[in-house]
Amino acid sequence: MKSWKWMQALALSLLVVMLVTACGKSGESVEGSAVTITFLNSKGEIQSQLEEAAKAFKEDNPDITMEIIPVPAGQSPFEKASALYASGNPATITMLDTGDVEKFKDRVLDLSGEKWMADAVDRSTALTTFEGKNYAFPLAIEGYGFIYNKAVVDQAIGGTFDPATINTTGALEELFKKIEASGKAPLIVSPMDWSLGAHYLPLAYAGQSADTAAVAQFVDDLKAGKVDLAGNTVFNGLLDTFDLMAKYNIDKASPLSGTYERGPEVLGKGEVGIWFQGNWAWPQISSFDTASGQYGFLPVPVSNNADDFGNTQISSAVSKRLVLDKEKNTAEQQAAAKKFLEWMVYSDKGQDFLVNKANIIPAFKNITLEAKDPLAKSISDYIAKGKSQDSMSTLPADHWAKVGASMQKYLAGAADRSVLTKEIQEYWKSVK
Amino acid sequence: MITEKGLWNRLRLRLLFTGPTLFAFLAVMIVPFLYGIYLTFTNWDGISTASSLVGFQNYVSVFQDTVFWQSFLLTLKYVFITVVLINVVAFLLAYALTSGLKGQSLFRAGFFIPNLVGGIVLGFVWQFIFSNVFVYLGKEMSIPLFSASWLADPDKAFWAMIIVTVWQYAGYMMVIYVAGLMNVPKDILEAASIDGASLPTKMRKMVLPLMVPSFIVCIFLSLQRGFMVYDLNISLTKGGPFKSTEMVSMHVYEKAFLSRDYGVGQAEAFVLFLLVAIITIAQVYFSKKMEVEA
Repeated sequence: MKSWKWMQALALSLLVVMLVTACGKSGESVEGSAVTITFLNSKGEIQSQLEEAAKAFKEDNPDITMEIIPVPAGQSPFEKASALYASGNPATITMLDTGDVEKFKDRVLDLSGEKWMADAVDRSTALTTFEGKNYAFPLAIEGYGFIYNKAVVDQAIGGTFDPATINTTGALEELFKKIEASGKAPLIVSPMDWSLGAHYLPLAYAGQSADTAAVAQFVDDLKAGKVDLAGNTVFNGLLDTFDLMAKYNIDKASPLSGTYERGPEVLGKGEVGIWFQGNWAWPQISSFDTASGQYGFLPVPVSNNADDFGNTQISSAVSKRLVLDKEKNTAEQQAAAKKFLEWMVYSDKGQDFLVNKANIIPAFKNITLEAKDPLAKSISDYIAKGKSQDSMSTLPADHWAKVGASMQKYLAGAADRSVLTKEIQEYWKSVK
Repeated sequence: MITEKGLWNRLRLRLLFTGPTLFAFLAVMIVPFLYGIYLTFTNWDGISTASSLVGFQNYVSVFQDTVFWQSFLLTLKYVFITVVLINVVAFLLAYALTSGLKGQSLFRAGFFIPNLVGGIVLGFVWQFIFSNVFVYLGKEMSIPLFSASWLADPDKAFWAMIIVTVWQYAGYMMVIYVAGLMNVPKDILEAASIDGASLPTKMRKMVLPLMVPSFIVCIFLSLQRGFMVYDLNISLTKGGPFKSTEMVSMHVYEKAFLSRDYGVGQAEAFVLFLLVAIITIAQVYFSKKMEVEA
């Protein structure tokens, strides 16, 4: 009997030990110099291109394997990244939206000393620099506005279309009418909350002034509840344009039933002339392209005075940033990640990936490759001519969802302009 | 084993068998639960390395968050309708499939299958059906009800969620009801038939009272799943159009992770837990009183 008791005690202690060790982190021994890093990708449309880039990078650096983890559709990069941090398993490289970088600054590497800092375009790291230290790699400049299908608009106006002629709301309506008269639908409004809430409506904030400090002041005033949006000319001008869009929308009968995937299809096939979206949509448009790659951007006009700010400027900014984790990744992994960043900026294969494969507008002066993608090229042209407006990239994190829902309600006709204005003002007051 | 003397001797044996499960339960349920309650008293945003205690401020915010209460009311409505429909459909299916129909095991398997598909996948499948298949059919055959996507209209999107939920869970509850129906003793039913009881009388006076345990389980399960619905909500409607079908779990999640108000989100989750616990415990307590013996 005595031995039986010993057996019990032994089995019990064994179980406890097993359970406790199972919870401990199993030591990650890195054999030789081979290192595996992970990349959290929040730009779903370049997932396969990134996987190819990881292969190309491995050819140049056989020791480094990079795994690309996608952020699931519908989840924000912040949600996924913070979940990974909470589980103690952050990616080596995390792709964040500009406004999120600050939240992670205690957990990510200071990149101020990196070689590419000298080649980054002006102001591209300003929003991720805190107390003089830059924490993020500017990955992509993105811009948005009305994308036009040149074949459709050329046919509608009966000649060669000059995008510079569309510089007022009135001119835009003329164009819509001409497209309609040519037997096509003028435009498609994709009703996603992120498109309306993060891209369309913020034009009203960015369009307040050409001076970025004045725009920042405007946002602060909104938070303080000091702005009367109902009497704001830019805001009303933008919504007047939105009313036009809703009026000429191909999906007017059921404006909220559209999906993102429908936009590139109808634009590429030439069923509509115009789509409100950004240059990231090129891969999808190109798979339906019937206009032999002839597309370009029109700014969203906010008034009938061609000289007003915003009527000839395209909205653009560095939208995606890469940060490197310093908490859970080893020094070797961090070094490998830094190498990848440099590889993108300075190697031929890396530049080819950015510009040609992923259709990204790089934020580095040393990259002189000309974009093959007409949308990126159009944005680059506007920027080169100085016709650009800084997109709002540090709005509160839930702005797109909350204001996007209000915009959807307005688009569907379930709320009028006064309700929309009130909801937006209420939203800003609730921001902490 | 009860003859073993001393507290330790008895405890040791029990720990040997229940210890591992107990440990797992403590580690993944109780500890996170308590830690979660602690977080409701902080202003943590989900990622920062520092946070401070704020007392009951988060709970005050919960009661001021009208959207939370609106989505809770919407969830109540959703739960009420789905619980009724799921159980009615499941009971009728179970009754039909125990009456000696040809190929009834095949039917049982068929009705059970939707439950094996995860909520997310199911949501995407039905999203396609509602916004493409139905719209196509509606246009081809000019049925006005289907000519526009159901998911673009607040009321229809709500009903779309109910239809999918009922379709998903009715088969599962049916299995429980089938087991309950088969356990109704045949001898007393036969005796009742000999005494001249009609089918409705037998159903009302014998089958239904004897099935009370099955009803308790099924209503409990459908209540709890209804309150906790999230996967279907996010994949079928995304809470849209314009947040009109945002159920309470989704609201809590968005509060914590989208609005980055982790403390308030966690406090809302805790309030939700208390409300759901009260409702389900009350349900089990009161329906237990209806149980009878054959």
